[in-house]
Amino acid sequence: MKRFAQASLLALATGIAGLASAEVAVIVNPGAAKAPSQSEVANIFLGKDKSLTGIDQKDWNPTKETFYAAVTSKNEAQLKSYWSGLVFTGKGQPLSSVADDAAVVAKVAGDASAIGYVDAAAVNDQVKVLFTLP
Amino acid sequence: MSAVRVLGLAAACLAASPAFALEQGEYRFNGFGTVGITHLGGEDDGRAYGIQGQTNDSWRGDQLSKLGGQFQYGLTDKLGLTAQVIAKAEQDNWKANLEWLYLSYQVDDRLVVRAGRLRNPVYMYSETLDVGFTYPWLRLPDEVYHQVQITNYEGADFVYTLPLSFGSLSLQANGGQAVNRNFFVYDQLRDMDYKKVAGANAALATNSFGTFRVGYSESSLSLDGFIEDRKGKFTSLGYQFDNGTWITANEATRLVVEGATSTKDAFYLMGGRRFGDFLAHVTYAQMDESNAGGQSSWTYGLNYSLTPTVTLKGEYKRVDTYDQGKGVFVKSFDELVSEAFGVTTPRTFDGDIVSVGVDFVF
Repeated sequence: MKRFAQASLLALATGIAGLASAEVAVIVNPGAAKAPSQSEVANIFLGKDKSLTGIDQKDWNPTKETFYAAVTSKNEAQLKSYWSGLVFTGKGQPLSSVADDAAVVAKVAGDASAIGYVDAAAVNDQVKVLFTLP
Repeated sequence: MSAVRVLGLAAACLAASPAFALEQGEYRFNGFGTVGITHLGGEDDGRAYGIQGQTNDSWRGDQLSKLGGQFQYGLTDKLGLTAQVIAKAEQDNWKANLEWLYLSYQVDDRLVVRAGRLRNPVYMYSETLDVGFTYPWLRLPDEVYHQVQITNYEGADFVYTLPLSFGSLSLQANGGQAVNRNFFVYDQLRDMDYKKVAGANAALATNSFGTFRVGYSESSLSLDGFIEDRKGKFTSLGYQFDNGTWITANEATRLVVEGATSTKDAFYLMGGRRFGDFLAHVTYAQMDESNAGGQSSWTYGLNYSLTPTVTLKGEYKRVDTYDQGKGVFVKSFDELVSEAFGVTTPRTFDGDIVSVGVDFVF
């Protein structure tokens, strides 16, 4: 019985580890002129630094959640509130967004000034990984 | 396969756009609103409270409720047009006002110049005064936010945003005028002219330690029957912090009108904590007028995020005035005159304000 419980716990733990291993990669074009730090990436995706074009994901998904929580410490409602503050003061426009990981990779691969975030599994050799988020 | 890839690349290139301004011919429509009711209870009946005295002892929806729409259009890739219309009740009438109508020009990555009818950025929350979704309360702390009644002016401003390694610095300066605006004082609506409006503010946003803001605004004021060309000066210091769990917003202000009325010092301190989709918050606010008493209040609020763009809010606010101050309560002109002649002595006010409502954006 005790052994069974241990085995279940172990299975559970691996299961959790398996879920958590879906890392998020921040990607740029291989020809990008610079490699921004994490706080510069935060500025880009909060519309304060326009030196690179941030490519957002359209719908709220686990990748987006992980990215914004790690880089900007904001959840979905806080992010909406932040952009409302900019949109209704005329001080900013939300970034242009695309449908999914593949579309982000395609866009970053095709634009030297683009930067995006995707599930690490979606990365291919046409883009460069800046850093990954657990 | 390769054809698909080429097509995908072409589409990606076509769609690639500067993120900071609308492209030529591109347009956006956004909206916001509040549906809320508020009630003033306490010992005496027949009192009114608020900038326009709309909060009283009946449950009223016209103090808090409003609906706004904003339209933005890219005339060229750098020149844009923005219009914002807000429907809300003034006194007892519902009106749709053109709050904003301006042209903006994106000079470079960091500098935007705007001209037209703009919001007067005197307070920390000035530019989103009507967008309740962007702040935790249903009623912004009245002690601070009742002081400057104009919300917009005709003129120009610039906004400069500098990205920093630990956050960003935003500088704004503006100038213009606002004439023939309604001013509610002693139970009456009068005409107020704000000439030579000029102001500047700086906001330092840090990634880990919150946002600091300092603002200054001045204007030459003429209030029909009361004052003529008196200089009014308004200073605001603000601090906001939100790490996802803990949240705080604080502001201290000083209003000086040269020679005419008493100096007003006001502040509020707000702290709150999120519990999942709930946000519980407490605010202490105080306003002191030199030689004219003051007001203090405690506000307790509980918000619930129904969806990421809709927030349900409930609030209880306890207000007291002291030293014969009227605070944000409305004193009638008759009462003022009878006090001036010593017929009656100035009273103090108190009340319990309960508000319930929903804020949304779309």
